Amino acid sequence: MMRNLKLISLLLDYPSAEVFEYAQDLIQSAKADTKMSASEQQLVVDCIEKLTSQPLIDAQSDYVAWFDRGRSLSLLMFEHVHGESRDRGQAMVDLMAVYEEHGFEIDSRELPDYLPLFLEYLSQRPQAEALQWLLDMSHILALLEVRLDERNSPYAGLLACLLSQCDANIDRQPLAEQVAGEEADNTAEAMDKIWEEEMVKFGALSQEECGNNVLHQRRQELAQVQPLHFVDAAAK
Amino acid sequence: MSHLLDRLKFLNKKQGTFANSHGDTVKESRAWEDGYRQRWQHDKIVRSTHGVNCTGSCSWKVYVKNGLITWETQQTDYPRTRPDLPNHEPRGCARGASYSWYVYSANRLKYPSVRKALVKLWREARSTMEPVEAWASIVEDEAKAKSYKSKRGMGGFVRASWDEVNEIIAASNTYTIKEYGPDRVVGFSPIPAMSMVSYAAGARYLSLIGGACLSFYDWYCDLPPASPMTWGEQTDVPESADWYNSNYIIAWGSNVPQTRTPDAHFFTEVRYKGTKTVAITPDYAEVSKLCDQWLAPKQGTDAALAMAFGHVILKEFHVDNPSEYFMDYCRRYTDMPMLVQLDARDDGSYAAGRFIRASDFDASLGEDNNPEWKTVAFDNKSGTIVAPNGSIGFRWDKNKGEDGAEPKWNIEAKQGADGADTDLQMSLLEDHDDVVSVGFPYFGGVEHEHFQNNTFSDIVHHNMPVKKVTLADGSGTLLVTVYDLMLANYGIDRGLGGDFVAKSFDDNAPYTPAWQEQITGVDRAQVIKIAREFADTAHKTKGRSMIIVGAGMNHWYHMDMNYRGLMNMLIMCGCVGQSGGGWAHYVGQEKLRPQTGWTPLAFGLDWQRPPRHMNGTSFFYNHSSQWRYEKLEVEEILSPLADPKDWSGSLIDYNVRAERMGWLPSAPQLNVNPLEISKNAALVGLSPQQYTVDKLKTGEIAFASEDPDNPKNFPRNMFIWRSNLLGSSGKGHEYMLKYLLGTKHGLMNKDLGEMGATKPEEVKWEDKGAEGKVDLLVTLDFRMSTTCLYSDIVLPTATWYEKDDLNTSDMHPFIHPLSAAADPAWEARSDWDIYKGIAEKFSEVCVGHLGVEKDLVTLPMQHDSAAELAQPLGVTDWKKGQCEPIPGETMPSLIEVERDYPNTYKRFTSIGPLLEKVGNGGKGIDWQTEEEVDLLKQINWTHTDETDAVRYGKAKLETAIDAAEMILTLAPETNGAVAVKAWQALGEYTGLDHTHLAKPKHDEKLRFRDLQAQPRKIISSPTWSGLEDEHVSYNACYTNVHELIPWRTLTGRQQFYQDHEWMRGFGESLLAYRPPINTRSVAPLMNKKPNGNKEIALNWITPHQKWGIHSTYSDNLLMLTLSRGGPIIWLSEGDANTCGIEDNDWVEVFNANGALAARAVVSQRVPDGMSMMYHAQERIVNVPGAETTGTRGGIHNSVTRACPKPTHMIGGYAHQSYGFNYYGTVGSNRDEFVVVRKMKHIDWLDGEGNDTIQETGA
Repeated sequence: MMRNLKLISLLLDYPSAEVFEYAQDLIQSAKADTKMSASEQQLVVDCIEKLTSQPLIDAQSDYVAWFDRGRSLSLLMFEHVHGESRDRGQAMVDLMAVYEEHGFEIDSRELPDYLPLFLEYLSQRPQAEALQWLLDMSHILALLEVRLDERNSPYAGLLACLLSQCDANIDRQPLAEQVAGEEADNTAEAMDKIWEEEMVKFGALSQEECGNNVLHQRRQELAQVQPLHFVDAAAK
Repeated sequence: MSHLLDRLKFLNKKQGTFANSHGDTVKESRAWEDGYRQRWQHDKIVRSTHGVNCTGSCSWKVYVKNGLITWETQQTDYPRTRPDLPNHEPRGCARGASYSWYVYSANRLKYPSVRKALVKLWREARSTMEPVEAWASIVEDEAKAKSYKSKRGMGGFVRASWDEVNEIIAASNTYTIKEYGPDRVVGFSPIPAMSMVSYAAGARYLSLIGGACLSFYDWYCDLPPASPMTWGEQTDVPESADWYNSNYIIAWGSNVPQTRTPDAHFFTEVRYKGTKTVAITPDYAEVSKLCDQWLAPKQGTDAALAMAFGHVILKEFHVDNPSEYFMDYCRRYTDMPMLVQLDARDDGSYAAGRFIRASDFDASLGEDNNPEWKTVAFDNKSGTIVAPNGSIGFRWDKNKGEDGAEPKWNIEAKQGADGADTDLQMSLLEDHDDVVSVGFPYFGGVEHEHFQNNTFSDIVHHNMPVKKVTLADGSGTLLVTVYDLMLANYGIDRGLGGDFVAKSFDDNAPYTPAWQEQITGVDRAQVIKIAREFADTAHKTKGRSMIIVGAGMNHWYHMDMNYRGLMNMLIMCGCVGQSGGGWAHYVGQEKLRPQTGWTPLAFGLDWQRPPRHMNGTSFFYNHSSQWRYEKLEVEEILSPLADPKDWSGSLIDYNVRAERMGWLPSAPQLNVNPLEISKNAALVGLSPQQYTVDKLKTGEIAFASEDPDNPKNFPRNMFIWRSNLLGSSGKGHEYMLKYLLGTKHGLMNKDLGEMGATKPEEVKWEDKGAEGKVDLLVTLDFRMSTTCLYSDIVLPTATWYEKDDLNTSDMHPFIHPLSAAADPAWEARSDWDIYKGIAEKFSEVCVGHLGVEKDLVTLPMQHDSAAELAQPLGVTDWKKGQCEPIPGETMPSLIEVERDYPNTYKRFTSIGPLLEKVGNGGKGIDWQTEEEVDLLKQINWTHTDETDAVRYGKAKLETAIDAAEMILTLAPETNGAVAVKAWQALGEYTGLDHTHLAKPKHDEKLRFRDLQAQPRKIISSPTWSGLEDEHVSYNACYTNVHELIPWRTLTGRQQFYQDHEWMRGFGESLLAYRPPINTRSVAPLMNKKPNGNKEIALNWITPHQKWGIHSTYSDNLLMLTLSRGGPIIWLSEGDANTCGIEDNDWVEVFNANGALAARAVVSQRVPDGMSMMYHAQERIVNVPGAETTGTRGGIHNSVTRACPKPTHMIGGYAHQSYGFNYYGTVGSNRDEFVVVRKMKHIDWLDGEGNDTIQETGA
C-alpha cells in the first residue's frame, strides 16, 4: 500500500472543498509518511500549503486553465504518448484490463489513463510494483513537472515527488531548455488568457521564423517517447 | 518475436497454385495473423454519423471495445438503387474518419463550467437569497453585471455541478421572463436535419417558455431568397444520384469534388454516359480540373454571364427557332402568359407595374373568392381574358369543400370560372392593340472601383406589344405578357425597336455575349457555345440539363440576380421538375425530411401554438447594433425608375417597417412585457388585441426594434447549441462582442453619430449604443469553441457517437441515426438530457414568480397559411396613417398563448393534447393524427401516475429515442399511413387525387431501431415536391410538373416576374445584372496605419475548405497537418508581387470591421483582385496579434458586417411571406473588400519572447 500515492492522487484531482477543509490533516499525514523522504514530504507539504493559501475558487479556475484545456499539461497520460492516433483507444483498453486483472473497476466518469486515477490504483499495489510503474512513465512525469514548473504551478512539486520516489534519473536541464523554448499552449497569467485554448502551430520548416512550434515539438516528442506497454506488465 | 521460430526462412512448403499461378497455396501456421486480428477486435459496432453541418450525411460504423470508442469506418449497407444507376456508397470522407479522436481529446469539454467572476457573485448572493432574487441582485447592480460581462472571452472558468448551472440558468430565465418577457430569451441552433432531436430539445424548452428561436439558414446566407421568389419553396433540390440522370451539367460556383466528397462519384460516373460537365468558377478550383470545360468570370459578376446565356437561349430557342417543348413548358408551368399592367411615366414611356388581377375586371371575371389574388392571362381558345386555375387565390378559396364547389388549386390548363380548357397566349406580338415604349432599369453602368462597368443609360427602353383593356372602374389600361417583358428585358430584338437593341451576339448592347465580355472577362464565343449546348440538350432530352450551384454565389449582396439568372435559364429550357434537370443548390444540411413529424416536437406544438420565431439576420443586425454603422444608402440600390422621394430612410428603417406591417417577425417583440398585456387589457375591459392596437396607435406601445438601445428591449438570455455562432457564423463578430456581450473587441469603425451621418427615421438614436445587452450566454458544445470562450456557462454535450438522434440530407433519400456507442464521457450529457434537466430545474425555480400566464405573441403573416393573402395591391403603413392597424392584415397577428410555467418539465416530457385535438401538418396541408398519437402511446408507453394531472395517460417523451419515435410516427416521410393522409389532404386543395403516390407504402412504418439496422429510404410526401420511387430519383418540382400541383407562388407557377411594389422599387421585378455594392470599409483604413509594407485592397471570398469537416473541425491535428497548420489566405501571384508578399509570409488582413492575421498562400489558382480565406478557421489556433488592433487576430468574420436588403423583408404577399428559414433578410458578405499587407511585427501577445520581425520582401 502506497498511501502517499493516494495523497498525491487526491491533490492532483480538481481542487475540492474537502481537500481545503482537511488541509492540515493532509499535511500531517504527509509529514508522517515513512515511505517518503523528508525532502519528498516537504514537496507535498509545500504544494498543499500553496494550493490552500488562496480561495478555493481561484485554485479551481487555475486548475481548469492548466489541466482542462490544451494538450501539453493534460493529465491523460496517453495524450502524451499516442496523441490522437488510433492506438490510444487500444492502449486505454489494455490499461483497463490491467485494473480488472487486479480486482478494480473504474467507478467514476474518468478515462483509465487519468493520472490521479492511475495513482490511486498504484497506491493499492505493492511498493516495488508501484515504483516500477512510476519509473516506466517517468519521462511523461518529468515533462509535466518541467512544464508546470515553467508556469510556476504548485503542482510541479507533486510530480517532482513522484520522480524522486521512483529514483528516476532525470536530467532536467535539457528538458527545461526544451520547455522554455516551447510555445506555451496555455498561459494562465498572460494577456493571452483571452484566448484560452492552446495554440497549435505548424510547418516544420518554418520553425525559426514564426517562433516555436508546438506541433513540431509535439511530433518530435511523440517520436521520442517510449510507449507504455501495459499489456506486458499485466501478462507478467 | 515468438513466431520467429515457427516461420521458415530459407524454404517454402509449396502446395500448389491457384488463379493461373498468380496465387500460391501454402500450409503453415497462421498464428502470426493474431496480432492483426487482436488489433481489430471489438465488442460491438454501433451505427452513427457526424451531426455536423455537412450535406454528406454519411452513415458510419463506430467500433467499441470495453465501453471505449476506438475507431470508425464507413458503412456500406445503403439500400441499393435500381438497375442502371450507381449505388450511393462509398460515402464518408477522410475528414469524417478523423472524428473519433475528439471523443477523448484533451480539448473535449468535460464538465459544466461557469465564468469565475459570475459564479463568485452567484454563490455569494445565493447564500442568502433564493435563486431568482439572487440573479436579480447581480444583474440589477450595474457594477456587478459589468464585472463579469467584461471578462467574457478572457478565460477564468471553474467547474460546477449540473444542479448549480441549471439553477443559474433557471433563475436567469425566470427573472428575464418576469421582468422583461419571454421574448427576451432567445436561442440559436442551426440545421436541424443534422441531429434533429438535439435541435428539438432546446427548441422545445424555449418554445414552451415562450422564448424565440432564431433562424439560421438566412443568417448563414445560404438561404437563397430567389428560391421562394421563383417557386414559393425554399431549397428543394435533386438528390446527388439524379446527377447521373442528367445529360448536361454546369457546376457553377460549386466545388463538387472538394466540398461534396461522398457524392462526387455520381458527377464523375455520369461522364461515362457522355454527359458534358462545365465548371464556372473564378478560381482554378478542384472542380475546374474535373470538368470538360472551365469558364472563369470575374467573381461577383455571374448574373452578367447568366443573362448572356439567357440572351442566346431566348434568341435562338424561343424567338428564331422556337422549341416546341420549351414553349409548351413555359405556357403551362411559368407565369410567362400572365398579364402585367403598364404604369405611365412622365416622359410618355411606361414601366412594368403589377400583375393585373381578376378583381380589376368587370364582375371579377366571375371569381367570387379572393379575386384580387387571381392573376389573369389571354386565352386563345375563348379569345378572352381569363383567370386560369392555380393562382394563390384558388388555394385559400373560402368556399373550398362547401356548396359542392370544386377545389381548383391546380395547374390544369383550365380557367377558374367555368372550368373550360384554355390555351394561354405567351406573346402579344402577333395580336396587339398598340406598341409602346417601356423602360427597364439598367445597372450595368454603375461604377465600382474594382469592377468593370459597361455604360449605357440607367433606363433602357424597348418597344413592346400591348393590349388595351377597360377595367371595372371604367379606366383603361395597357397590358403586356411576362413573356414579352422577359424578351425585352434580355435585350432580344422583336423587330419593334428600342434603345440599344442588339442585332447580333457581337453587338455590345445590354445582355449580349459581347456585352458580358467587358464585365466578366469570359470569351463571348464560349458563352454562345455553352448556351447552345445547354439549351439544345434540354430541347432534345426534354429538360435533362442541370446546374449545380454553390452557395458562394448566394453570398453577394445582389445574390438574387445570380440565382435568378441561372434559374431563368433552367426554366426557359423546361429543365425544372424533370429527371436529371433543374437547380441543384446544396448548402448546409437543409433537408429535414420528416419535417412535419419534427415541428410538433421541436416547437411544442402539441401543447401550444404558435411558437415564437425570429429571423436571425434582422435580429443580429438590429441587436448587435450593426445598423449603427450602416454605410449603404437606400438610394444607391433603388431602381432608376423609382423616385427617391418615395423611398426615404435607411436599411434598418425598412426592417422596422417590415416588422410593423407584419412582414417580418419581431423578437424581442414590443417595448412591453407580453405577459403584462393581457393583465392590463383586462383591467380596462378590453381584449388584449384591441388594447395593443389602441396603444400602438397612441404610441404608448411600440416595437422593440424601434428602440434597441433601451434596456427594456435587450435580448437578455441567449442559448447557443450545435453551433459556433460567434465564430464561424458570426458576421459582424466584433460588433457582437462589443454590443451583445460588452467585452473586449477589435472594432475600428465609426458609427453614424461619430461620422455625422444621417440617422435612421424609425429607430431612436442614442449617441452611446448600449453594450453588454445579454445577461446570460449559455453554450452547449463538446469542444471549446470561440463561442464557448465568450459564454458565461458552458455545458458539455455528448459527441455524435454518444447520443441517439436522427439525420437526413438533401443529397440522398435515406434517413439514418446517430446512436450512443458509449455513454457520454466525463460529465457530458446529450442535448436532450441537458434541456430536460434545465426544464426540470426551471419548473421548480419559477414557482412563486411565474404561474399560468397569458403571453401575447406577435405573428407575422405566414407563408403557406391563408394569412399570406394579406396585402394584395399595394403597401400601406399604419404608423404613417396610410391605413388602420388591423392584426393579421396590416400588422402582425396578435395571438394569446397560455403558458403553464411550473409545468414546463411535465409538458416537455409528454406529448400534449393539441395533436389529437387540432391535428398536424405543414406547408399549408393539415390532417388529423389521432391514430399516430395512439400508436405513440403504445410505442413510448404512457405516464401512469394518476396524481399527475398534466401527464397522466399521455405518451411519454422521456428519452431521445422517445422523441425520435415521435418524429418518425408523425411524419409522412417515415409513416406510410400518414403519407396517404397527407396526399389526401392536398387533394382537397387541388381537386386531384394524389394518393396513388403513397398507397403502395401505406403500411410501412419506420422505427428508430429499423434505422439502426440499416438506413431507410423515405416515403414520398407532399411536404416535398419530389418523388422517391422505382422510376425516378428525387428531383424538386417533379410533382408540380407531373401531378399538376401549383407552385406556392402568387401565380401558382414558376415566376420570372416579381410584381411587389418593393421588388419594382428596388429594380428587381425582372432579372438585371448588378455589380457588387460598395461597403466602404476599406477607405477609412487604407494606408492610415502604415507598417512600411505596401497595402492592397482585395475582394474577400470565404469558400469551404478541404481540410476541415465541412465548415467545422479544421483544428484537429490531422486536418492541420494536411493543410498548413493555421489560418491561411490565398492570393494571386500578381497581387502578391505588387505588395511584396511571398508564399508563407505572415500577412495582416483588415478593414473597418476588424482585422485578422494569417499566412499567405500565393497561388496561380487565384485570379488578381481577390483573396480567399477558407470558411471557419478558428481563432483558437495559431494566431498572432494583428498590428492594427493590437489584439489577437480575429477570424474570417472579423472583417465582415451584415447588410440586409429591403426586398428580403417583403411579407404578407403570397410567396413573399415570412416563414422560418424560408424567407427573410440574409447576411451577405462577399461584396466586402479588405486591405492586405505583409506583417512586420509577429507578436504572439504571450509575453514569452517569441516575437519576431518579418523582413520586407524583395
